[in-house]
Amino acid sequence: MFIRQLSAALAFAALFFGGMAHAADCPVKLGGVLPVSGPMGQVGERISTTGQFAVDHFNAAGGVKGCDVEYVLRDTQGQSTVGVDAAKSLVDLEGVQALIGAVSSGVSLPILTSVAVPSEITQVSCCSSSESFTELAKSGDTNGYWFRTYATNRSQSAMGALLTTKSDFKKTAVIYVNTDFGVGLAKRFEQDIPKLGGSITKMVAYNESQQSYRAEVTSALEGNPDSLFLVAFPVDGATITREWLALGGTDNLIVNNSLRSTDYFEAVGTKYLQNLQGYDSAQPRLPSVATFNELFEAEFDGPPNGPGLHSVYDAVTVVLLAMEASDEITGANIRDNIRKVTSVDGEEVYPGPEGIKRAKALIAEGKTIRYVGATGALSFDENGDVQAPKMTWKLEGDENIETAYYTEKEVAELIIKLDN
Amino acid sequence: MIGVISYLVFFLILALIFSIAVLGLNLQWGYTGLFNAGVAGFIAVGAYTMAIMTGPSREAVMGGFELPFVVGLLGAMCTAGFAALVVGLITLRLKDEYLAVATFGIAVTIQLVCLNWEYVTGGTLGLISIPNPAKPLTDGPLAQNSVFLLIVVGVGGIAFWSLERIVQSPWGRMLKAIREDADAAASLGKSPTRIRLESFVLGCMLMGLSGALYVAFIGYVSPSDFLPIVTFQIWTMLIVGGSANNRGAVLGAIIVWGVWTSSGYVISKLVPTEIQAQGGAMQAVLIGLILVLMLLCRPRGLIGERMNVSRHARI
Repeated sequence: MFIRQLSAALAFAALFFGGMAHAADCPVKLGGVLPVSGPMGQVGERISTTGQFAVDHFNAAGGVKGCDVEYVLRDTQGQSTVGVDAAKSLVDLEGVQALIGAVSSGVSLPILTSVAVPSEITQVSCCSSSESFTELAKSGDTNGYWFRTYATNRSQSAMGALLTTKSDFKKTAVIYVNTDFGVGLAKRFEQDIPKLGGSITKMVAYNESQQSYRAEVTSALEGNPDSLFLVAFPVDGATITREWLALGGTDNLIVNNSLRSTDYFEAVGTKYLQNLQGYDSAQPRLPSVATFNELFEAEFDGPPNGPGLHSVYDAVTVVLLAMEASDEITGANIRDNIRKVTSVDGEEVYPGPEGIKRAKALIAEGKTIRYVGATGALSFDENGDVQAPKMTWKLEGDENIETAYYTEKEVAELIIKLDN
Repeated sequence: MIGVISYLVFFLILALIFSIAVLGLNLQWGYTGLFNAGVAGFIAVGAYTMAIMTGPSREAVMGGFELPFVVGLLGAMCTAGFAALVVGLITLRLKDEYLAVATFGIAVTIQLVCLNWEYVTGGTLGLISIPNPAKPLTDGPLAQNSVFLLIVVGVGGIAFWSLERIVQSPWGRMLKAIREDADAAASLGKSPTRIRLESFVLGCMLMGLSGALYVAFIGYVSPSDFLPIVTFQIWTMLIVGGSANNRGAVLGAIIVWGVWTSSGYVISKLVPTEIQAQGGAMQAVLIGLILVLMLLCRPRGLIGERMNVSRHARI
C-alpha cells in the first residue's frame, strides 16, 4: 500500500519536474559514456573526439531547435559499475535524454538494463557487437530504447560462410578468439556453413595474448581440413597463422575483418598468404561517406582509420536529428523519431554542416527524411540493429585487392536465406 | 531536485552493495589478517549463482529455475562459501604474501571459468534478463530503486549487525589473537588453521552476497564485471575506511565509491568540452591523488580499530 502511494507521488513529482526540465532548456545536452581511460582508452578517446566532431557539425548548422548542443562526456574506465554510475548521473544530474555508448558490450548492456530502459532514455552505441542485445530486444526488455550503428556479427559470419563455400572448400576448421565477438561469430558460422554446402571439422577457441598457440593449432588440424576460418586480431592472428602453416596446415585461409591489416600481413609474410581471402565491412559507394572522410581529414589531419569512428558519428547525428524532429525532447520521442529520420522512403540527407542544415529544413517542412551517413544508409530493424554493405578481398603480391562488393540489400537477403 | 535524489539512491545502492563485500574482506583481513587478493572471484561466484537460480530459462545454458530472490541470495552465499572452503583448505596454510598470490590466481581462474564454461555462465555473452525483486512491487525507476535500496539496507544491516556480534564474541577475540600471534593462540589450545578457515569462508559468503545483489540490481552478468580491478577497489575501500572496524568498512565503501564516481562528474564540469576526451586520464590521476592524500593524513583509515579487550572491559 505504502509503496504504491510512494511510487504514485514520486511519479507525479517526476512528471512535474520532468515537464519543467524539458520545456525550453538551452543548451540541449547529449550524454556520452565512453571508455576514455582503461584498456579500451586509446580506441575510446578517438571515438569520443569524433562524437564531439559530430556535435560540432550540428552546432555549425544551428543546433537542435535553435539551441546549441552540449556534449557531456563521461568515462566508463572500461568498467561496468563505473559506466552504469556515469550514465545514471548523466540522466539524473545533467538531464540528458539520450546516451551515446558504451564501447564494450559488457558495459553497454548493464547501462541499458539498469539506466536507459527504466529511465526511458534512448541509448545508441557505436561499437557494441554482442548478440545479447538482439536477444534482449526480441524478448521485449529494451522497449525499443536500444540502437546501434555498428553492424552486428550476424552479417560477418554469413560473409565468412559465403566466401568459404564460394571457394569450394568442403571441410573447414575454425579457430576463434574467445571473446563475445569471436564466440558469437564462430557459433553463427558453425550454423551457417552447412546451409551453403560446407562442413566444419573442428572448432577451437583461443585466449588472447599467449606466446604460442601450438596446442590450439594442433587440435584444429585434426580431420584434415581443406581450409581454415580464422577469427582473430592481428598480433595473435599472426602467431596462429605462422604456427598453422609451420605445422602443415593448408594455406587456404579465410579471415575476419580485423585481420585486414598490414601488421598481420607483414608479421606472417605476404608470400605465404597468396591464398588468403577475407571480408570486411565495405564503406558504401556513396557521396555521404566521401563527404565524411573529407571533413574528418580536414579537421584531424588524418583519415578516419580506426574502429567506431564512422559509426559514432552516425550515432550522434541520428540522435540529434531525432531530437530536432521531436516536439518535446524526451527519450521516448527520440526513440520514435530515430525511425522517422532514417525512414526508407524519406528524402536522403548527408553528413556535414551543409547536409544537416538541409535535413533541418526538411524536418521543419514536415517531410520524412532518410539520413545517409558516414556508414551509409542506416536502416534499423525492430531490434535496433543495422546492416552494412560488405566486400571481399585477397592479397596479390603485397597488394590488398577487392574481389567483390555486396550491398546492404544483398547482405540482408543472404542472412534471410541462412536464417530460414 | 528529484534528479539528485534519484541519483543518490542509485549511488547508495552500488556503494552499499560494495560495502557488503568490504565487510567480508574486513572480517578476513581486518580481524584475522588473511590477505585475500581474490575478492572479485568470490563476488563472481555469488553473482553467477544468483543469475542461474533466479533467471529465466535460456537456450543452451543451464538454469531457468526462476527461484525467489531470497533463495537466490542464500544460494549465492552457499556457493561462495563452498568455493571458499575448497580454496581455503588448499591455500590457508600459506601466509601473507603467499596467500595473496594464491588467491589472486584463484580469482583470475574463476573469471576465466566464467568466460569459458558456456553451458553454465553463458560465456562471453553473459546472462541477461535476471529479475529485479523491486520491479513487480513498483512502477517508475525512482520508486523501484528506492525499494531496492531498502532491500540492500536491510540485507546489509543484517550482515553488519551479525558481524558486530561476531567480532565482539569470544570467537571474534580469537580472530584477533590469531592475527596478532598465531603461535601464542595455538599455545592456548586454539587451532589457527581452523579459525582462519572459518573466517575465510564467512567473509567470502558476504562477498558472494554482494555479487548476488549486484546482478539482481543490474539484471545482467558477464565475465567483464569481475576483472582484478574490482578486488583493488574493495581493498581500497577497506584501507581508506579503516580495517578491523565494521563502521570504517561501510564508510570506506561509500567514500571511495563517491570519490571514484564524483571525480568523473568534477572532470566533466571543469575540463573544457574540446579536450574532454583527454580528461578521462585526469580522472584516474584525481582518484589516485585523493587516495594517496587520505592515506598520508590518516594512515590507519578514517575510522581505525578500537582498542578493547571485550565490550565489557574498557581500556
